[in-house]
Amino acid sequence: MNRALRRISIAVLVMFVLLIVNVNYLQGFDTASLASKPGNSRAFYAAQNQYQRGSIVTSDGKVIAASRLSSGNDSIKYQRYYPSGPEYAPVTGYYTIFGATGIEAAKNSLLSGNDSSLDVRKIIDLITGKTTKGATVQVTVNSKAQDAAWNALKSLGKPGAVVALNPKTGAVLALASYPSFDPNVLAIHDGAKLNKIDQKLLKDPAQPLLNRALQGTYPPGSTFKIVTSSALLTQSPSTTINTNVASPTTLTLPQTQHILHNDQGEACGDGSGQAPLITAFAQSCDTTFAKIGIQVGANGLNDMAQNFGMNDANLTIPLPVARSNYVIPASQALTAFSAIGQFSDTVTPLQEAMFAAAVANGGELMKPDLVQQVTASDLSTVQGMSPSVLSHSISSSVSDSMKQMMLAVVQQPEGTAYAFRQGVTGVEIAGKTGTAETGTVTSLNDAAFTCFAPFANPNIAVGVIIQGGGYGASAAAPIAVQVIQAYQRAVGNQ
Amino acid sequence: MSSITAPSPAVDPTGPLPPASRSRRRTELIMLVFAFALVAFALANVGFTLKGGLPAGAALYLAVYLAIVLLAHLAVRRFAPWADPLLLPLAALLNGLSIVMMDRLSAQVNPARGAPAISASQANLQIAFSAIGIGCFVAVLVLIREPRVLQRYTYTLGAVGILLVALPALLPASISEVYGAKIQIRFGSFTTIQPEEFAKLALAASFAGYLVAKRDVLALAGRRVLGIDLPRARDLGPILLAWAASLLLLIFESDIGTSAVFMGLFVAMLYIATSRTSWLLLGFLMFVVGAFAASRLVGHVHERFDIWLHPFTPANVNGNSFQLVQGLYGMASGGLLGKGLGGGQPYITPLVQSDLVFTAFGEEIGLAGLMAILLIYGLIVQRGLRTAISVKDPFSKLLAGGLSFMLALQVFVIVGGVTRLIPLTGITTPFLSQGGSSLVGSWILIALLVRVSDTARRPPPRPIQEEGLTQVVTLN
Repeated sequence: MNRALRRISIAVLVMFVLLIVNVNYLQGFDTASLASKPGNSRAFYAAQNQYQRGSIVTSDGKVIAASRLSSGNDSIKYQRYYPSGPEYAPVTGYYTIFGATGIEAAKNSLLSGNDSSLDVRKIIDLITGKTTKGATVQVTVNSKAQDAAWNALKSLGKPGAVVALNPKTGAVLALASYPSFDPNVLAIHDGAKLNKIDQKLLKDPAQPLLNRALQGTYPPGSTFKIVTSSALLTQSPSTTINTNVASPTTLTLPQTQHILHNDQGEACGDGSGQAPLITAFAQSCDTTFAKIGIQVGANGLNDMAQNFGMNDANLTIPLPVARSNYVIPASQALTAFSAIGQFSDTVTPLQEAMFAAAVANGGELMKPDLVQQVTASDLSTVQGMSPSVLSHSISSSVSDSMKQMMLAVVQQPEGTAYAFRQGVTGVEIAGKTGTAETGTVTSLNDAAFTCFAPFANPNIAVGVIIQGGGYGASAAAPIAVQVIQAYQRAVGNQ
Repeated sequence: MSSITAPSPAVDPTGPLPPASRSRRRTELIMLVFAFALVAFALANVGFTLKGGLPAGAALYLAVYLAIVLLAHLAVRRFAPWADPLLLPLAALLNGLSIVMMDRLSAQVNPARGAPAISASQANLQIAFSAIGIGCFVAVLVLIREPRVLQRYTYTLGAVGILLVALPALLPASISEVYGAKIQIRFGSFTTIQPEEFAKLALAASFAGYLVAKRDVLALAGRRVLGIDLPRARDLGPILLAWAASLLLLIFESDIGTSAVFMGLFVAMLYIATSRTSWLLLGFLMFVVGAFAASRLVGHVHERFDIWLHPFTPANVNGNSFQLVQGLYGMASGGLLGKGLGGGQPYITPLVQSDLVFTAFGEEIGLAGLMAILLIYGLIVQRGLRTAISVKDPFSKLLAGGLSFMLALQVFVIVGGVTRLIPLTGITTPFLSQGGSSLVGSWILIALLVRVSDTARRPPPRPIQEEGLTQVVTLN
């Protein structure tokens, strides 16, 4: 029996040698290959967990996202929290154990402290014995403008979004979307619970997770007449804002029986069938701009729409922005519709703000940017903001004309936004209203408004879209006015 | 008559015992203190990593652990004074590491699930089960004074073993099924017993008794075909029975790992008893054929092979092989020295507290720690096999050889499984896995080895007088 036992012992030895060799191979030689295999989340979690994640602050120093030590038997060391929750959710996005959106995603490597640009500082931290932390991201948002935008949207209670830009730099001054969500509820470290909350938010018909300011697209309505007018003024330099243009009360569209009316069938200008361009613009005559649209043609409109930043699917601020669409129509009748912001035209609220920003900045459309600067934990700047031109939309002379016409919308008695200038003191606002038919009989139209202020030296351009808001002047314009006034107070212009 | 009455030259009755016969109980005590120190350091390490200080329950944990380990030592001193000095400390160290790992796993939430791998109360149960396990260890030493006693119950133990194996298969799935395998009996909502952990021991003792009785006929009768001694058809009965039982396990309980351990145990014991290679070949062949057939017929088995061969395919990585690959990723992240106890992310791996506990150690104490753990297992097996070789009684020889080989096989199946050397099948890692049945069963196994080693190492009776043919000896 002992001979058999000795052989069994040798078999056991072989078994253990096999195990030992295999474990040595796995942990001694195969680690790098296993680390890069699909579904290996350990390195990801470890990197996210390594340093205290950096904060996100507004341009005026308000903290909108930060990390603190987790409590209890949490395996994740730091807990992310958002002091203002839903108000800044379209800016910060969320940061969950499974992924991130918004600035949290766009600047993840810097916030987490794992970006290669922080390597030298990490070595210094190691030598000086300081705890390495993630970098702080300062966004361009002004907390006063953001408060005004968010509070106005919330008190109105309708789905919509507000974007404010600094026309000179492209800095995003406000970025609000309603209804929103509280990123704090998604920051929990409980995947099972998180999945439930996430499913509930995804199924919510109010779409709280949708960042309407950047990802929602809506018909621009009459605000598109900025593009149509710019196309006309650019194509025929002899045309001025006082040139009389054909402005019939009704217009039968070419090759169709369709008769186009102005809003509520009213006459344009003095009813003579001719009106100065500025009057038609202020009054927002559909017949006039339908005719102008046919005159400049679909390609002319398309070129100008692109000059204003439309048809660009790759814009990031650094948050991704949905493409605002101008689709070249197949017929003159549809071209007429497209010229007044109907047909297949869709824009984001950011695009609405870009219309006004381009005009306000003398025709130079600055690239919108949400990040002002990134600072390492030793307060040294890692990334700054360098304003860049996105597109040369219009010449400065066309821009001057457009400014005058947009001022008339607010300042002239016949202007569609005239009713709102009474409440506004100390700042001259120029803008354009839009009311887009959504095609559903039961609901109100979408309201849009794009504007800039102060007229003489613009420092803010605002785009507002309210779904089911009715007339742009009544629903969207007051919100823009509140944002502008809050911002002027904040920068000391008022 | 002078030639017969010549005095025996070997033993001076008043002189010291030869060195080989020292009881070595003090060595055992020193090794136990060493094991306790390691466990205490490991527990403190977990506390400092996770909480920045000693965990609140650490003192109580260590006090209970020290008490039960010393109790076991005293029991060995009293009831098996000549036992192998390494078996108890090695087992106690593994048991202590398991307590530390369960405490560590209960102290951190798995973010994906929102709960720790095991609850704090389950971690506390592990130390309670350690106490019960050591209680059973002592009970075996007290009740079974001579290993041969078990030989009397050959058929009783066999019947008990078969019944324990069959029980989960006969019970409804609601009581017996866990992760697709029917291997447990559930009492209430919390307590479960895995009868196979005890069936293994009963069957090993039963096989030993049966084979001791039949080994001559199994070894000698038969014909020689193609250079291989084939046994007679009627002697094939028991091996066919064992084969059928292990296949039934496979098919009705979907428990391929335990089935392999049973089959391996039986074939190895048959080989030890008869020294006939033909039994080894036959047994191995039958298991391979059976396993192949089962892999075609039983989905659970086929799936195991697919996971083993293609774990990293996109469909498998987040599906069937998730557990295996997460275990491998854990070991990879541990590398040579590990992340430190409390420093890794073992909670990502499903079932890290039971089947994949080896990978949790790999992640936190690294290759160095795993080598130590494998060597501890290797040492236990080596001490067991050495005991089997040195003990004279054939039944004890077979029992110790069989139990040692079974322990080795179990370690090979589960460690080989989680390291992708062989297909992963869910069986427990002796002493390390969470769970009372496995822990208690492992302690009984060690108790039986300690009992046999006591018999093996006990010095021969000392003659107290030398008068002619008649020797008066003390019997102890």
